[in-house]
Amino acid sequence: MLDHLGSSLKDALRKLAGKTVVDRAAVDELVKDLQRALIQADVNVKLVMQLSQAIKTRALGEEPPRGMSVREHVLRIVYQELVRLMGSAGEVKLGSQTILMAGLQGSGKTTTTAKLARYFQRKGLKTAVICADTFRPGAYDQLSTLCTRLNIPCFGNPQEKDARVIVRDGLKATGSAEVIIIDTQGRHALEDDLIQEIIDLNTLTAATHRWLIIDAAIGQKASEQARRFHEAIDIDGVIITKMDGTAKGGGALSAVSETGSGIVFIGSGETIEDLERFDPDGFISRLLGMGDLKALVERAQQSVSEGEIDVNAMMRGKFTLRDMYKQLEAVNRMGPLKQIMSMMPLGNIDLPGDAYEMTSAKMVRYRIIMDSMTGKELDEPSLLASSRIHRIARGSGSTPDEVRELLKYYKNMKRALKGVRGGAGKFNMQRLMKKFGGM
Amino acid sequence: MFNGLREKLQKITTGFEESIATAAAESEPAAAKPVKKDPSLLGKVRVLVTDREFVISEKDIEEPLFELEMVLLENDVALPVAEEIIAHIRRDLTGERRKIGERVDTIVLSALKGALLDVLGEGFDLVSYISSHERPVKILFTGVNGTGKTTTVAKIGAYLKKRGFSVVIGAGDTFRAGAIEQIDVHASRIGIRIIQHQQGADPSAVLFDAVQHAEANHIDVVLADTAGRFHNRVNLMNQLDKIRRVMKPDLIVYVDEAVAGNDAVVRAFEFEKSVGADAVVLTKADMDPRGGAAISIAHTIGKPLMFLGTGQGYDDIVPFSPGQMVDELLSEAA
Repeated sequence: MLDHLGSSLKDALRKLAGKTVVDRAAVDELVKDLQRALIQADVNVKLVMQLSQAIKTRALGEEPPRGMSVREHVLRIVYQELVRLMGSAGEVKLGSQTILMAGLQGSGKTTTTAKLARYFQRKGLKTAVICADTFRPGAYDQLSTLCTRLNIPCFGNPQEKDARVIVRDGLKATGSAEVIIIDTQGRHALEDDLIQEIIDLNTLTAATHRWLIIDAAIGQKASEQARRFHEAIDIDGVIITKMDGTAKGGGALSAVSETGSGIVFIGSGETIEDLERFDPDGFISRLLGMGDLKALVERAQQSVSEGEIDVNAMMRGKFTLRDMYKQLEAVNRMGPLKQIMSMMPLGNIDLPGDAYEMTSAKMVRYRIIMDSMTGKELDEPSLLASSRIHRIARGSGSTPDEVRELLKYYKNMKRALKGVRGGAGKFNMQRLMKKFGGM
Repeated sequence: MFNGLREKLQKITTGFEESIATAAAESEPAAAKPVKKDPSLLGKVRVLVTDREFVISEKDIEEPLFELEMVLLENDVALPVAEEIIAHIRRDLTGERRKIGERVDTIVLSALKGALLDVLGEGFDLVSYISSHERPVKILFTGVNGTGKTTTVAKIGAYLKKRGFSVVIGAGDTFRAGAIEQIDVHASRIGIRIIQHQQGADPSAVLFDAVQHAEANHIDVVLADTAGRFHNRVNLMNQLDKIRRVMKPDLIVYVDEAVAGNDAVVRAFEFEKSVGADAVVLTKADMDPRGGAAISIAHTIGKPLMFLGTGQGYDDIVPFSPGQMVDELLSEAA
């Protein structure tokens, strides 16, 4: 996610790193590149101007601390300002709470409600949802279908036209649940009666959290909409949805800065598990190519049972076909390799793009091919010479070219992972941090 | 919806006039001390240089152009598109020799108008399209998740029914929970027959059945709803391609929302590339009085904008006409 923004930011920083002298012109250029990257990511134009102004003034005005070169100093300023732009992570407590979902039509409230319910359910909390969307036909069917699959109680009444009545009854009916999530109808800030409705719902439920759901693709309007919602019900967290598309989610940042809250979750797929916690530091590190080890470890722990993937071995650069097989196996639960790789501290090493462009169909093919390999071959891919390749191709019903393609893919992955070798990642991380100016 | 953009544009045109007027003034030795903010300057210059020619140089319009670019960006015109519009205007204006008798504002206006019209292209008249084609006319709706495809299908159904066409809807969103129920309720409210299977069914099969039904019953229009999908999901895009092969739509309508930012360009491009698009519907135009996404999408795929969705009711849909919109945008300028 945010790949494009990431790579254009990295490009901008790399350009600076290549400069012999960091002077006003170099800073100007950097700031211009940053502006382009951020505006293309839909970050509010005014915010971008403020950010670039701040970077410029600080870069040219502040003396670099002792022992830090001008270049490192500038990079550190960029990092700090970006972190500030992201805001802090929104707080999520694992305890009794009522959550009111708010947002524009089609931003993904209902899907996110189900995902959130799943999140709290997995954390061992008794969860219930209330469907207060009285307008969109099928809204209750949608939510109750999703909830039935999860075995989570869902309260709603498609016949009732007043959301307030539903919520009042719903609160009684779901009384024993620890976490209650209220899905509401989509509304935009210019619809006064609907805004009044959500104000009423907020008073009625005395909600612990009022989260604003923002589509990653939303543009400059995000600020205005967020401000109105904030005025109405005091938004205290933002969830960005649809981050699995190509949108950069910059609009959500405008919403964050407008409401003075933080991003709590990121929705990144169509299945019920596709919801991540958000961590701004890790996010920026990832963006700048410094890796987000924390998220990687958390994710690996959550989705891959022990022994399936040895992340540490991978980090040491020991990566065999067997590891790749396991990775392909776990891919449904852990997400595409690209996402995992993006969390690793690969620094400025970019994997060749074609290494990622694996369709799910191809993943299946690769697994079938590897099923025709012997255990020895999986551990020592160097054994695979022409005759073995032919045997595997025959065995798996593929062509030798496909087997070679698989090997090429493996080699690409391995080469990429070599970049992390040297001290189990930690040393590497430190070196990278140093490179980016002691962050 | 375009009020916000309009105000800004009008402000900017004034900026242009000032700059160009200044430029003109500078080319006239007698006006050695041009005062930008002087309200009567324009008039003065007009009198001073009535019989001369002046050349607009790139430098003169640099600042207002930058401002105009910012305005476009703030109104959600995607960066590459905004840059192209600016380049268009710059090309039109710089080095232009103008008889001074001609008014400065006309120069600027025609450049801006040209750039916008260029980008927005032609409108699309659905009713005359249906009238002039063999029945049933099959219309397939595509787009990413949550842009309002299902609602748009219902609105267009109501729109066509009101104009005397018979309509059938194919419930092709078999993925999202509750989607079939949603379109079912819409269809029964507006009194349109719907063809549906269960959730999880093959959408191609549903839509094929809808087409069969229309042919058997001499129905004028088939509206085919589909599940929202992201353009970077190869499998889902292949599914859409299969739908296209099976039902052979006459029109593919791409649905996107007016609130989308830069990504609008990316996804419009991808949809156009993989399954094609013949027309665009822009929904949620009531959320904000800006029109940037319209400009971006129209420019990217070069296809006409057919309708604007402007609210939650079935009647909240307006045919889009670019000439009128541009005129409206610039009408009070100058």
